[in-house]
Amino acid sequence: MAATTESVKADAAEAPLLNRRNLTLGIMLYLVFYSFIRWYEGVYGWSAGLDSFAPEFETYWMNMLYIELVLEVLLFAGINGYIWKTRDRKVMSITPREELRRHFTHWIWLVCYGWAIYWGASYFTEQDGTWHQTIVRDTDFTPSHIIEFYLSYPIYIITGSASFMYAKTRLPTYQEGLHLMYLIAVIGPFMILPNVGLNEWGHTFWFMEELFVAPLHYGFVFFGWAALAIMGVVNTEVMAITKLLKKDLA
Amino acid sequence: MSASQSAVRSRAEAVQVSRTFDWMILFTLFTAVLGGYHIHYMLTGGDWDFWTDWKDRRLWVTVAPIVSITFPAAVQACLWWRYRLPIGATLSVVALMVGEWINRYMNFWGWTYFPVNICFPSNLLPGAIVLDVILMLGNSMTLTAVLGGLAYGLLFYPGNWPVIAPLHVPVEYNGMMMTLADLQGYHYVRTGTPEYIRMVEKGTLRTFGKDVAPVSAFFSGFVSIIIYFLWHFFGRWFAKTDFIADDAS
Repeated sequence: MAATTESVKADAAEAPLLNRRNLTLGIMLYLVFYSFIRWYEGVYGWSAGLDSFAPEFETYWMNMLYIELVLEVLLFAGINGYIWKTRDRKVMSITPREELRRHFTHWIWLVCYGWAIYWGASYFTEQDGTWHQTIVRDTDFTPSHIIEFYLSYPIYIITGSASFMYAKTRLPTYQEGLHLMYLIAVIGPFMILPNVGLNEWGHTFWFMEELFVAPLHYGFVFFGWAALAIMGVVNTEVMAITKLLKKDLA
Repeated sequence: MSASQSAVRSRAEAVQVSRTFDWMILFTLFTAVLGGYHIHYMLTGGDWDFWTDWKDRRLWVTVAPIVSITFPAAVQACLWWRYRLPIGATLSVVALMVGEWINRYMNFWGWTYFPVNICFPSNLLPGAIVLDVILMLGNSMTLTAVLGGLAYGLLFYPGNWPVIAPLHVPVEYNGMMMTLADLQGYHYVRTGTPEYIRMVEKGTLRTFGKDVAPVSAFFSGFVSIIIYFLWHFFGRWFAKTDFIADDAS
């Protein structure tokens, strides 16, 4: 396209394709927040988290659980409600450049989703293993569970659902219907949270030890496989972006 | 959108956009695979991976390759068959091991004070590299499954041998013969894993005398072949781009 004075002015005025500030902020938000959580665990896990019948356990851990549950429900409703409320009702008539910009924003969400999955499914889940080797299990709401099950899992669920909601409400690519692998990539890891019900039921009634490979845990394994569905999302995105670029990049 | 219009204004911008997406995709793929693979591996082979006194010559050697060839096969099915990137297995295993090492150091040691030399993760990299190389050179799923799967099982023990060997030397402690790794386990009591659920050296078959590890490795390689096939097709399925009708719900 010919670079006229007008188009140069328009270029200078328009928003960048990728909002790098939002990308950095997104990654830093999780990093800083979880670093704080890790510090909190380190201090109050030992000083107030060993005996669930102690009054300090109520102060430092059960109150944390109540607060985080309320905040998560509010965050889930707020973020998804906002994305839905501000949806583009003419999504099929946006310009290619705007579409590309939205793909970048969508990828900021996906980067955050992957990052949140790492913290939840890897960092805090394996961490729970070592906490169980250190304390005697006397409650379902042991400190590592209050962080792993009821904080890090809801956070990746909120991030994943927001990412899906963004794609569905703002990108023409996802107007064909419901993207099966995107659904699996979001709903599968989400199902790990309800599976906590099975886990706690089993550990409460008949299995007090913490053998990590016990069949009781296989529900987590099954739903963890769903993270692979991110490959279907990547493939769809690659096709969509290639179509938008229409350039030979070789 | 217009069918003839490009979203970028020059080839240079297209290249820049493409490279930026590459990094974002790589980060997301890496972290998502890390999360899924780690939760899978820690809950199917984790106890053998967590502790040196679980790292025996029989069950660790058997279980770890079988349960860990899964995600590499699936990710290869996407990255090689769609993009000709021969890095699926290595990417998966590097992701898993990054997650494991961070955890063992920050949490097993940093939070609950198990020394790193009792809780370091198993090394899965040699097998993963071989899987990728065989796929790249052979361009065949069958060859990778049969040759790569077998190699993946066989290479596991040698790949870990330099690390585990010093902990398998025998010691006598209070009149009992055990390995140094066993001794670590006695000293670092784990409240959730009492001795009666530690699964090591199970079984009575001693026909092959001292050759327990090679037999276990061959069996592991055999099952790894089957698991590779299975997970290759899982990977293909997860890489689909299908939509279902909105009203199907």
